[in-house]
Amino acid sequence: MRQDVSEETDEEIVRLIQSGSFEFFDVLIKRYEAKIGRYARKFLSDNEDISDVLQNIFIKVYRNIQSFDVKRKFSSWLYRIAHNELVNDLKKKKKKTLPLFDLDVFLPQHLRDNNLNERLELKDIQETVDKCLDKLEIKYREPLILYYFEGMNYKEIADVMQIPVSTVGVRIKRAKEIMKPILKSLKYNHE
Amino acid sequence: MNNQQNSINNKVINKIKSGNIKMKPKIYFVLRTALLMLSILVLVLFIVCLISFIAFSLRSSGVWLSPAFGFPCIKMLFGSLPWVLILITVVLIVLLEIFAKKFTFVYRKPILYSLLIIILVVFLGGFLIDKTPFHSNLFWKAQEGHLPGFGSFYRDFGNPKFKNIHQGVVSEVINNGFLIENHRERIISVMITPETRLPSEKIEEGDVIVVFGERDNGQIEALNIRKTKRDFNFFPKNRFPKKGFID
Repeated sequence: MRQDVSEETDEEIVRLIQSGSFEFFDVLIKRYEAKIGRYARKFLSDNEDISDVLQNIFIKVYRNIQSFDVKRKFSSWLYRIAHNELVNDLKKKKKKTLPLFDLDVFLPQHLRDNNLNERLELKDIQETVDKCLDKLEIKYREPLILYYFEGMNYKEIADVMQIPVSTVGVRIKRAKEIMKPILKSLKYNHE
Repeated sequence: MNNQQNSINNKVINKIKSGNIKMKPKIYFVLRTALLMLSILVLVLFIVCLISFIAFSLRSSGVWLSPAFGFPCIKMLFGSLPWVLILITVVLIVLLEIFAKKFTFVYRKPILYSLLIIILVVFLGGFLIDKTPFHSNLFWKAQEGHLPGFGSFYRDFGNPKFKNIHQGVVSEVINNGFLIENHRERIISVMITPETRLPSEKIEEGDVIVVFGERDNGQIEALNIRKTKRDFNFFPKNRFPKKGFID
């Protein structure tokens, strides 16, 4: 009889898998399949591609699960693997991907956290952002998705993308600046 | 969508059950992290040695003091820097930054910060090593032929020879000049002319001097002479090889 782990945290389930109970891995897949699928869909359009990438992500998670430190947040680690897999997939398809070197990452930036109002209007913002995503470069698109759609904070986004925390804030700010004229042209009123 | 999700779940779980996908053991990751840390340590030590060696080679040739002789010598210093070693150092510092960025506390901060810390650490380390007799001992071992492997490296880079800058210990004060001893040629005669700019202090036997002037047939017509500190480890007493000087 299998132990009921539905109430357990991700990290506790990972601990069980690490100690040999691999049968609980499907609980993690079920918890994150839809979320990671939604994240992948912001970069890829072909359903078959998305399915392949999802499979590869969960296979990599399983293979490398012993490297996960259960004191840290599992979702950030999972998104890090998903980020790498998506970047590799986009590279293979020779689509534009993250630049190898960016001045944003090199120089210190003034960190500006988003205010509470923005959080309160999350649904509105998600709709707004969704309309412009295709027109944004990946380096701006990804932090925006992770912040508004996946509900991550700057530190978590920094861990996923392995960039400085201040750069995350700057990229989100720039993404919003880029979106403004696009939204105007779409006659969408957002301020 | 649900079907797609179920199929992904089933595919992955089936692959796990069939043994097609294997979990990497914890020891693999422990060893990988240990290897990364060891590589960082080795790189830091290597860069520190390289920086201190560059400083040593500049001091050993006297080029380090060339800016004191005015603008033409600054230009000469620039031209005589060991650019190959400097380029290797820069490449290794970049490599060190790439390795260090694997750690959370490094990548969360702008590259400029981690790069500045790395540069500060390796230069400080290089400066401290340069204050020890480490390189001069190895240099002398290389000169005496007792340094297998690195001997030619020390002989080639450790004491570069320049046309206009010469450093040595005054072995004898002669009429209108001095004889100086250096690592390579042992004795060079330095001629003083009315145009020679001399230091304010008197030059005596045993002083270490740097001479700016073109050398011709073992003789330098000095344009400018500077006294420098006797480097306890670079010109140790009785360390000039008596026989079989290797050049």
